[in-house]
Amino acid sequence: MSLARYIISRFFQSIFIILIIIIINFIIISSAPGDPVQFIAGDIAIYNPDLAAYLRAKWGLDKPLYERLLIYLTNVLRGDLGYSYRYSEPVINLILERLPVTLLLTVSANIMAFVIGVLLGVYSARKIGGKSDTFLTVLNFFLWSTPSFWLGIILMMFFAVDLKILPATGLIDLRNPKTGIWFYLDILYHSILPVTTLTLITIPLYYKITRDTVIQQASEDYVTTYRAIGFSEDVIYRRYVFRNSIIPPVTVFGVHMGFAVAGAALIENVFGWPGVGRLLLDSISTRDYPVILGIFIIIASSVVLTNLIIDLLYAILDPRVRIEKR
Amino acid sequence: MNRLVKIFSLFLTLFIMLSLAFAVTSWGVAKIYAQTPPQGPLSPITCPKTGGTLIIIHWGDPKSFNPDSQVDDALYGMAPAIFNKLVTLDVNYNVIPDLAESWEVAPNGSTFIFHLVRNVTWHDGYPFTSADVKWTFEAIKRYKGIAYSLLNMDNLVSIDTPDNYTVIFRYSKPFPPFISFLAWYGTFILPEHIYNKTIYKDWMDPSIPALTKPVGTGPFRFVEYVKGDHVTFEANPNYFKGRPCIDRLIYKIVPDPTAALQSFLAGEGDVLNNRPPTTEIPRINSTPGVIVQMRPVPSRWYMAFNLLNPILADVKMRFAIAYAINRTELVVKAENGYGYPAEGMYTPAIQWAYNPNAKLPPYDPDKANQLLDELGYKRGPDGYRYLPNGTRLTLRLDIFTGAESEAIATLIKEQLKNIGIDVKIEEYEIAAWEDKVVKKRDFDLAILDGFQGPDPDNMRSRFGPGAYLNMANYSNPEFGKLLNEAATEPDPQKRKELYWKAQEIMAQDLPYLPLVDLVAFFIYRTEWHNFYWQMPGVEGINCFERVWWEKGTPVQITTTSPTPALTTTTITTTTPMTQTTTSLTTTSVATTTQATTTVSPAPQILTQPILIAIVAALIIIVAVLALLLGRRRR
Repeated sequence: MSLARYIISRFFQSIFIILIIIIINFIIISSAPGDPVQFIAGDIAIYNPDLAAYLRAKWGLDKPLYERLLIYLTNVLRGDLGYSYRYSEPVINLILERLPVTLLLTVSANIMAFVIGVLLGVYSARKIGGKSDTFLTVLNFFLWSTPSFWLGIILMMFFAVDLKILPATGLIDLRNPKTGIWFYLDILYHSILPVTTLTLITIPLYYKITRDTVIQQASEDYVTTYRAIGFSEDVIYRRYVFRNSIIPPVTVFGVHMGFAVAGAALIENVFGWPGVGRLLLDSISTRDYPVILGIFIIIASSVVLTNLIIDLLYAILDPRVRIEKR
Repeated sequence: MNRLVKIFSLFLTLFIMLSLAFAVTSWGVAKIYAQTPPQGPLSPITCPKTGGTLIIIHWGDPKSFNPDSQVDDALYGMAPAIFNKLVTLDVNYNVIPDLAESWEVAPNGSTFIFHLVRNVTWHDGYPFTSADVKWTFEAIKRYKGIAYSLLNMDNLVSIDTPDNYTVIFRYSKPFPPFISFLAWYGTFILPEHIYNKTIYKDWMDPSIPALTKPVGTGPFRFVEYVKGDHVTFEANPNYFKGRPCIDRLIYKIVPDPTAALQSFLAGEGDVLNNRPPTTEIPRINSTPGVIVQMRPVPSRWYMAFNLLNPILADVKMRFAIAYAINRTELVVKAENGYGYPAEGMYTPAIQWAYNPNAKLPPYDPDKANQLLDELGYKRGPDGYRYLPNGTRLTLRLDIFTGAESEAIATLIKEQLKNIGIDVKIEEYEIAAWEDKVVKKRDFDLAILDGFQGPDPDNMRSRFGPGAYLNMANYSNPEFGKLLNEAATEPDPQKRKELYWKAQEIMAQDLPYLPLVDLVAFFIYRTEWHNFYWQMPGVEGINCFERVWWEKGTPVQITTTSPTPALTTTTITTTTPMTQTTTSLTTTSVATTTQATTTVSPAPQILTQPILIAIVAALIIIVAVLALLLGRRRR
């Protein structure tokens, strides 16, 4: 009962939050310098003032801001995200057709980074001060400060240009198009480099948090008590310390999953990966307002939703967190 | 240490000399190209070999497949595959025939008659007629297409079609640049039978099928478009110039220039359309099987002085700055030697309109200092000059983000520091830059690059009084009058004189300072031939209808072409340059003639399953680990 009520109240809260996000975004985007009409009606050399006026009227950009906001909000409530200025296609189609490849990239990279990062973090914390701990910390520090596009290019140069064992860019092999199951395997094959790059960039996030939490947990009184009782180190770590330390990485994991729909713009750009992140980046640079707002709505909804899921997951992972107690 | 410096400087000078020599030779080669006279009427496509898939690495996504409605440079690069214009431009920016096999300009310069090629069909089988041409240009006028102001549509009185193969444009005033602009941007002929339906609001109505699946008259038919990844075309067997030599044409979209270069080097493409960083050009050229060709283009970097600023309103000040800027250094350091220091007010790539006498001030810092002293800006103890009221002489230099603009701005800052002017570089994203500099005119100095062709009438939209892009607020009435006169002068010789005079006036006023004339790079694999940049006078820009592949199937001359006389001549002209390679490849190809299109590089096929297996194994290992961990916890 209370769980249901909690979920319902959270749901309405979420809708309210998303609404506010839309309004804030709309105002910020509209007041940014630059003009969407300018990109369609001419790069600066062949600017066409007649076309600009025509488009402004067609898209309602000549109306005052509050009126446009109201129109947009009513459309969104009716489930219509509008048409892209650039592509003159429904925004929702543009996003949906790119979502699968983006999720393939971000979700798989996030899961791999989570598993590897947490494992390395626990390992490092148990060998604290040792050679392997120092090595891992330095390595993660290095990866943490590496720009993703640079790492992507380096991996591409090594594996695609020099060794020629992996494809450099794109989604499929255009020279020998595949069909059936091989088509999907081809996409998987092309995703190796971008996913690896994104994984390498994300590992330090989980590594650092896990390592710090495990170290902190290991100095708690209960660990000393268990040691005094005579539990083996393995049991203490696996059964108690690990379970207590997994909450922060899972929180981060959840937040990251919420942003998975946003894609990884820089990596998508480098690997020519047709994802949502690149769509957002292109839309921002050409001021394609409907697409920017549409993607923001999707991201906001996804983040709010995953936060809800994470809160519920806590209850399962950590018995101390019980919804009834709130 | 000293020796290191010596060696380094030796290398540097060597490099500079080499790149300069390179630049000079390529300029020379380009000159030779330019001299080949444009050929007459349509030359049919002749293929020494057919088959193959040409993959072009392209820098951007097309927005829609209506090439006339909006500015879409990414589509402009691939539109000639699907569509044709009445006339088009070759690589030297000369007008050559396309759908119109000939045209006449009435002596008054305001009536233009085009004779269309007969028996052209759209990709869906509909016949192409003058009605399509009429509808296209009326739509441009009605929906304010991108060519609306370029084509001076306000003055277009009527478009007449006396028969199916004749189109007459009548203007109310003489409009000599018409043919040049008709050959340039936003003038592709669209199919009336698809676009002209009453249910459509306008020609960008999302329910028009041709916006996503274009139908044209061009050499290639549309196959598929995966947004952000690739666009695929296949040869159109019914193309009016003959079937293209290649079977498929694919544009692979890679936005990042560095990644695009790696992708090209990894063999994923045959032509690189992205402009790579100029530092990479020598490395690309030394890659086996890859060649870089260069050509001067009518694009240049130039600097605007804001004449609303009282300091810059003084022509002496502008000349002082011009004397202080070493344009050769800009070419060598910002462009790595791939370019030419600007010498005149208009681009030399449009040869007939370029006035070599309207010279820019040469690099002479002493003269610059002398002028500044005359203006009363005295040097302070810190080396900078000060205004009479005691404030430092400071100018803002507004640029938009980009490696080249940053490099040029940094060099200008250094060069102007030498004569005591303090330059503050302000860098903006391009949309914000346009808002601040072009719209609000809130800047002191600004640099930008831009295309100056295809006709010198372009000067009117860049520098003309009241023009949107005239951010310097240059408004010499005599200059404006000359440009307006030239725009309506039917006699080419008189037009040229007017433009030459306009350039001389501009050189005296110097509201803009041209900096660097750019070169275009054409980067491709040597196993492909007959690109548009190798065929001035024959092939339109960005069109790949004549490209053929060394590894394709040899063609028997008798079967392919109805005009044997023509084919033999073209074959004899094309063989010399590939003689060494053809003699080698024909023998190997002869044995495997049946394997036409599918090229299967063996190593890829072998490594692919192995890699998939490795990935699968990795995933399984991770899963097992996770399982084990989970079990132990219990």
